[in-house]
Amino acid sequence: MSLRVKGLSVERAGRTILHQTDLTIGVGERIALVGPSGSGKSTLGHALTDRLGGQSGVVALVSQSPDEALDPLRTLSFHWREAERALGLPADSERQLELLSALGLSNAELTTRPWRWSRGMQQRFVIAMALIGAPELLILDEPTSALDPVIAAATMELVDRHLAASSTAMLLITHDLGLAAKQAERILVLDAGGIVEDAPTAKLIAQPASSAAQALVAHRNWAVLPC
Amino acid sequence: MLRVEALSVVRGGRRVVDGVDLALAPGRTLAVIGESGAGKSTLIGAILGLLRPQSGHVAWNGEDLRAVNPSLVMQEPRAAFNPALSLRRSIMEPVRARRLKLPEGRLNRLCTGLELDPDLLDRKPHEVSIGQAQRLGILRALIAGSPLVLFDEPLSALDAVTQKHTANLIAALQSEEGFAALVVTHDLGYAAAHADEVVILRNGRIEEAASAETFFRAPQTDYGCALCEAALALGALERAA
Repeated sequence: MSLRVKGLSVERAGRTILHQTDLTIGVGERIALVGPSGSGKSTLGHALTDRLGGQSGVVALVSQSPDEALDPLRTLSFHWREAERALGLPADSERQLELLSALGLSNAELTTRPWRWSRGMQQRFVIAMALIGAPELLILDEPTSALDPVIAAATMELVDRHLAASSTAMLLITHDLGLAAKQAERILVLDAGGIVEDAPTAKLIAQPASSAAQALVAHRNWAVLPC
Repeated sequence: MLRVEALSVVRGGRRVVDGVDLALAPGRTLAVIGESGAGKSTLIGAILGLLRPQSGHVAWNGEDLRAVNPSLVMQEPRAAFNPALSLRRSIMEPVRARRLKLPEGRLNRLCTGLELDPDLLDRKPHEVSIGQAQRLGILRALIAGSPLVLFDEPLSALDAVTQKHTANLIAALQSEEGFAALVVTHDLGYAAAHADEVVILRNGRIEEAASAETFFRAPQTDYGCALCEAALALGALERAA
């Protein structure tokens, strides 16, 4: 069943950060939310997580930096167990192996602390943890912007592959329409706290209607290689 | 012309920069591409003389580079300014320190080129947007007319649209002012759009060096190819249809 949210809005210090927003996300749909810095993208991601109930297992959110998700003093297996507990799930080593393998971490040693791992490994671990409850929606908030390009591309490919084989939908939050166009079939454009455009990726790239989308389309790549 | 010869820097017993050779002519842009830990920022520190190299040589037209006062644009735009001072005071610091007399109207001309309202100069760093702060950092690097400007990941704090806009403004000013630009970045897309020469740095060593045209037509190393494929997969670059 698709996820429906109505009248999502956020105010802070008397200022509207996110205007009344309605959103429908289909089963397994791959959506990107794009917009400039300060347009309210992360606010929408957090508000959506709150509304859908982060603890219920319906939605999981992964932030830009794994530092925000991992306690440097706790082992990785502790984090995993905590995530299972928060969802009310029993420890399941088969599920753990399956998810870690999906994110390219099958041989990783979980008795260590996160800082012994590279950032790329940490971020993939956080994404694997987010998938423990097989959420209906995985929100990835700039999941690769703290990673080097080769690691970032490999991470997105692993996420792609896993999502293609599951019914989990994705909301990718990014300032980069180039990345969004590679990963999503539908794109939402956020400008000054409001969704100004919602279109299939190919249509948005070919015919951006709003000025925000037109700016994003005009600057979506750095260059076109001849071959 | 900048010449860097066999430059090596050892830190904590590890060769962080290992035998690097570079050359960069006025008006040209050299992109030094590498991932975290490749030695990019250490290389900048060593070129500027902020770090003592273990061996090697850095010169501008055969002379000590420090004589021409190269300038630096830093990665974190707001953190690059003293938070207690007005932006004008920070920006004019290189002029004051060297007791230079600026040509009439230079500050305003650079502000126009960087699309900065001169009124912003009277604000503090936290009172401007991050995109404005980055352009103000570029203004500070250019104000004294240095023939060599080093950029350390100058666009990484900016969003995708602002990155491209800022890079275009830098390129336009470079063709007017004629400075040599050495840009370290992990973004191959920037290099494809704006660099004349590309150097791929890995584990402190030069893995590949070529003109941008040659490199992007056919990278010669596996790592160069992997970087290109990643930039294509992430949508920073597109292939012609």
